[in-house]
Amino acid sequence: MTRLARAEWFKLRTMRTGYGLLATSAVLTALFASLEASRAGGRTSGVAPLFTASGLQTVTTVTGWSMMFAAVVGVVLASGEFRHYTATLTYLATPDRGRVLVAKTVASALAGGVFGLVSALVATGVGLVFVAGHGYHVALGTGALVAHIAGAAVGAALFGAVGTGLGSLLRSQLAGVITVFVWALVVESLIGGLFTSVRPYLPYTAATTLAGIKLGGAAFGPAHGLSGGSPLPFAAAAALVLGLVVLLDAIAIGTTLHRDVT
Amino acid sequence: MAAIEVHDLTKRFGPVTAVDHLGFEVGAGTVTGFLGPNGAGKTTTLRMLLGLVEPTEGSALIGGRPYRDLPEPLHRVGAVLEASGAYPGRTARNHLRAQALLGRVPPARVDEVLDLVSLTGAADRRVGGFSLGMRQRLGLATALLCDPEVLVLDEPANGLDPEGVRWLRDLLRRLGGEGRTVLVSSHILAEVAQSVDSVVILDRGHLVAHSDLAELTARAQGKLRIRTPMAEKLQALLTAHGATAVLVGPNWVEVTGGTAEEVGLLAAEQAIPIFEASTEGLGLEEVFFQLTDAAAAKESTR
Repeated sequence: MTRLARAEWFKLRTMRTGYGLLATSAVLTALFASLEASRAGGRTSGVAPLFTASGLQTVTTVTGWSMMFAAVVGVVLASGEFRHYTATLTYLATPDRGRVLVAKTVASALAGGVFGLVSALVATGVGLVFVAGHGYHVALGTGALVAHIAGAAVGAALFGAVGTGLGSLLRSQLAGVITVFVWALVVESLIGGLFTSVRPYLPYTAATTLAGIKLGGAAFGPAHGLSGGSPLPFAAAAALVLGLVVLLDAIAIGTTLHRDVT
Repeated sequence: MAAIEVHDLTKRFGPVTAVDHLGFEVGAGTVTGFLGPNGAGKTTTLRMLLGLVEPTEGSALIGGRPYRDLPEPLHRVGAVLEASGAYPGRTARNHLRAQALLGRVPPARVDEVLDLVSLTGAADRRVGGFSLGMRQRLGLATALLCDPEVLVLDEPANGLDPEGVRWLRDLLRRLGGEGRTVLVSSHILAEVAQSVDSVVILDRGHLVAHSDLAELTARAQGKLRIRTPMAEKLQALLTAHGATAVLVGPNWVEVTGGTAEEVGLLAAEQAIPIFEASTEGLGLEEVFFQLTDAAAAKESTR
């Protein structure tokens, strides 16, 4: 399995798409973190001032984009095999398709971890630059900042793995990418906004809470910043997203993965 | 001993039967042409052989086992199935390095196979910019990476220019000379005729012929025209030996049912001088068409 995962990791490293997605994720993170930092302390912004722990945390945890883009990387790694007809070579080398999926899941999770880490460092950097610019003291301790950075890496790693399951199941890159963004930006914002009690159990939201993002912090539209409910404990949130990974992989292994490769 | 065995192999895609109770064997160390017009079922058969397509009925084995049960399959079987089977943004070298990781071969082997298919100069170019012929060469390099004893090549001449086809013929001969078993498909007999020992001919999913190339060549020879000053004596001699010989001119005899070697030896025994001998053959290609057309006619009368 190590050999397979290494090969899949090598494939990812030699795909330009991965670097493009990482850069896009980092740029969007910087942009949205800057926006939140600019709004912090405003009367109608709903974002606490940057000299408070809550205000600074809102900015330094703008890492939701890394989770979406990690999922896209997973989708690309899995569905790209069918788009570029490379599944033939992959399955000739490893006829056990379930093992291939597990290796891809591991590689995507690793890539997702990098996405989360980079995004969290960017968001933290933006937050600290704004704090320094205003001459405030840093309201969050090093422990909290590091925990949020590590949480972002875990959340994005899990969402990278989700993307691989989704890409294997759908086999269409476009459908996979659309599903990721529509689910994270529209469906969860809508459900989470309407039913705040369900919100902690939605997978994308659960992944974002791992990174210290407040409930509603990663939502778009009216649901953004909407308070209500408590996030799941770290282990429970991680287990929930991991359960989704296992479910998607199991369905893919039982259905689409065993289709003829023509 | 058979390196490849296909038994009663059938594949149906909905109402379409792509391969219909196909059976043949490929001997170890032989180069076999797998021929048939487009849509004959060649690719589907090869994909079933390689475990990529599930047969509806029957089995296809390599070394007595289904492909999926082969330990370290890349070291047993190399395959070229899709010219475009490479991520376009990856360089040729990285494409091969990914396979080398899976096949546990040292990175130096990547350079060796790139050299073998004359792609060393393009090793660090992205595959997306490759011509079809270069992709075919890369496919062959991928197939040869783990030095397998069996090679399954689906239309490897597609996209190759005449020089590339000649290069491929030489490569096939070399691979056969190294004792490897090669099953190479083509819809053009001439592409592989000079490289194969035997042929399996397929049409509309059915086996049409499975023979040595020599047998097919014999069928293709057709009529033999001999110029001799003793035409009548030669005609009588050949008729007595079971051939059909007809006088077609003062010094010309036309023979069917005998090879040039057989006629020459008989004439020499009787001291009949031969000034000229020529074959008016159908050509291998015509024999191929005759076989596949006959199969098509048989199919249409069902």
